[in-house]
Amino acid sequence: MDGVETMKIDSDPNSNWVRDLQDEGGARDEAIARLHAMLVRVARGEAVRRRASMPLRAAEEVDDLCVQAANDALMAILSKLGTYRGAARFTTWACKFVILEASARLRRHAWRERKVELDDTIWDRLSDQAPPVLKRIEDDQLIGALHRAVDAHLTERQRLIFQSVTMDDVPIDVLAERLGSTRGAIYKTLHDARAKLRRALTDAGYAEQRND
Amino acid sequence: MTDHRLDEILGTTGRDPGCDAGLDLIDEYCDIVERGDPVPERFADFVTHLGNCRACREDTEGLLAVVREQQHRNGT
Repeated sequence: MDGVETMKIDSDPNSNWVRDLQDEGGARDEAIARLHAMLVRVARGEAVRRRASMPLRAAEEVDDLCVQAANDALMAILSKLGTYRGAARFTTWACKFVILEASARLRRHAWRERKVELDDTIWDRLSDQAPPVLKRIEDDQLIGALHRAVDAHLTERQRLIFQSVTMDDVPIDVLAERLGSTRGAIYKTLHDARAKLRRALTDAGYAEQRND
Repeated sequence: MTDHRLDEILGTTGRDPGCDAGLDLIDEYCDIVERGDPVPERFADFVTHLGNCRACREDTEGLLAVVREQQHRNGT
């Protein structure tokens, strides 16, 4: 019975990764090199997937970003190896770290020369220049009610985050970096702002009966 | 429920655990989707968050693309 169990574990690629990365001999170095190569490959693949959103002249620097993302992801994986519980494949769990590192870097890189500021002219732009999200509403009264709710109910920081994310398509990683905050904290502010606006618009009659 | 035309701006009203909680589940979620298994109910809040957060949605799409490519390469 023990032999069967051992065979199962040895043939499980997830266990093999963890065992090799925890090895105290040469297997660890070999596993780290293999893992790092995979992380670099995944980061480069993510850069290719996102190339439409990257400025052309930034392309030469993107590879450096990918290697940096892979390096940081590798450090995170090794430090959190003890928390891996096998809920996902080991490679999926590991690639999560590099996708998050690479995508945040790529989004920040794409925005590095663009300002993030509160631009109240977005509400008054002619329809052909309005943010796509407002164009899709196609209802001046509803847009007016939303604008009034933003002015009346949001703090300046909430307005900046709400308008930047929802209308100017500023990535939350970029906002987090510029505002000296974290992605989670920026999202929480956005979430709270949206809840305030939803309540205000419900009170203003732009709502069906709430059932949630 | 507010006017559905506002959902893109205001997000949906389901329970949304935010980015940090969502990132804990992204790998398991991608494996489930890649296998074509039904997504368990315990992922409902995470799925709500994906609908509300473009960055997490993009990251999930990126990881799912990687998982699919790896499984394709492994011939499974």
